[in-house]
Amino acid sequence: MAYKHFEVIEKHAGLLGVLIAIMVSIGGLAEITPLFVQAHSVKAPPGVKPYDALRLAGRDVYVREGCYLCHSQMIRALRAETQRYGHFSTAEESVYDRPFQWGSKRTGPDLARVGGKYSDHWQRLHLEDPRQVEPESNMPAYPWLNDNKLDIADVQARMRTLRRLGDPYSDDDIAQANESLAGKTEMDALIAYLQGLGIKNEPVATVPVPVGHGDKP
Amino acid sequence: MTTGLSLWVMFLVVLNLGITFFLFLWAPRAKIPTLPDQTSGHVWAHGTVREGVRNLPLWWLLFSGAMFLAGFTYLVLYPGFGSHKGILGWTSHGELARDEAINNAKMDELLERFRQYPIEQLANDPAALQMGGRLFVDNCAACHGRGGYGNVKVGAPNLIDDDWLYGGTGADILASIHDGRSGLMPPWASLGEDNVKNLAQYVLSLSDSPHDAAKAAAGKPLFTTCAACHGAEGKGNPALGAPNLTDHVWLHGGKLEDIEHSIGGGRQGAMPPWNKRLTNDQIRVLAAYVYHLSHQGDAAAGQGHAKR
Repeated sequence: MAYKHFEVIEKHAGLLGVLIAIMVSIGGLAEITPLFVQAHSVKAPPGVKPYDALRLAGRDVYVREGCYLCHSQMIRALRAETQRYGHFSTAEESVYDRPFQWGSKRTGPDLARVGGKYSDHWQRLHLEDPRQVEPESNMPAYPWLNDNKLDIADVQARMRTLRRLGDPYSDDDIAQANESLAGKTEMDALIAYLQGLGIKNEPVATVPVPVGHGDKP
Repeated sequence: MTTGLSLWVMFLVVLNLGITFFLFLWAPRAKIPTLPDQTSGHVWAHGTVREGVRNLPLWWLLFSGAMFLAGFTYLVLYPGFGSHKGILGWTSHGELARDEAINNAKMDELLERFRQYPIEQLANDPAALQMGGRLFVDNCAACHGRGGYGNVKVGAPNLIDDDWLYGGTGADILASIHDGRSGLMPPWASLGEDNVKNLAQYVLSLSDSPHDAAKAAAGKPLFTTCAACHGAEGKGNPALGAPNLTDHVWLHGGKLEDIEHSIGGGRQGAMPPWNKRLTNDQIRVLAAYVYHLSHQGDAAAGQGHAKR
């Protein structure tokens, strides 16, 4: 290849840009395409069920209020994290999260396994005004959640949409939303969602470790 | 990773390294036509800026070569080249398991020592208190407060006074943490509003707090209902977690309206069980820390479990 070919590239900014884009995308193609394909083969492990109507509504409140901006839901496979928060998170646990709430920004603590750590009453006080239970907290208060009633038809429509995307909701599940959501507020829903986080969906055994340098201390 | 994907990644890696390697070999040898003044003839700004042609500096070539080698070595040692696992067999989960094992090995000696002591004695061990303090802040402080002074709004008891709902021995505290506690004060609104108010005055009178004597006298006969849990004298019952009403310690607030609310609306206390989140060793250390919190004022604290 002679120099003149490179001269063409040097002298045409558009061509140079296209070629740079191709070179830069090689890394992305190698990293992202396998994950993209694998994501479709991730199946729910035993114990991980689609959100019931109340928790689903709570999850939408969580997303709407932007909780993910300060709270991650991904315990990384590092000792400092597993000691504080519990077993590291796995992809299978998030199959029914659309979109997933892993996040990487922690102004507040990770919430992946917060379910059951505090009482419902505590969660309510804390969401109404975090300073009631944690004087030094800088988390905003969410008192309006107590006033907003859930729209049952809306939640049922969401469940039908998720069913179309592959979540195994039965007609009964959707019909029962009438009962389980009656009279509930967004606060009730968000608390139900938080109290279910990480409950009973920890991986049964740790992922098998390949033989070699890393497996045994 | 499927074979197809593995080949796809291998292809991209070879392509990327191949192009880089080609440039690496070719660039120093490229013959760039130059003008007599050693420039390429490319000009900017009406000829005031001209592009000179020089060989790549040696340090740059060496550095690029080192980078190339580093990338190649990485792909041999670590996962990255398709489904090749890397000859070190490294995984993030494996590294975590190793880190945890190293930590556990360090902790074992300490925990083994902790297991020898009863909780009351462990409460004097500085290492146990340091560990317990950490665990307390992470797990207990949300309700009981960082200092353990409790929270009337949550109904979380003060842990630094030596006043106990479910008993204050090491074993009692351990049981409270391990299995949790659920206190239940039933609502008595069915007695009627006046009776609730009278009862509240009587409850105030039990601790010699300021009260309306006439109303308290009217409420006294009704207290037989309450006596089932709180005892005839209102001294409480640790077996049920029924608070002592004769001291000035109030779990849900000691103002008149708080007490009326407690009687009329009932109260529910929920101390979650921690046996699923914490290990037994951690729970013992926590119990020792809580025991320490409530005995900090003891003259005997330095000599261990002497007072109780």
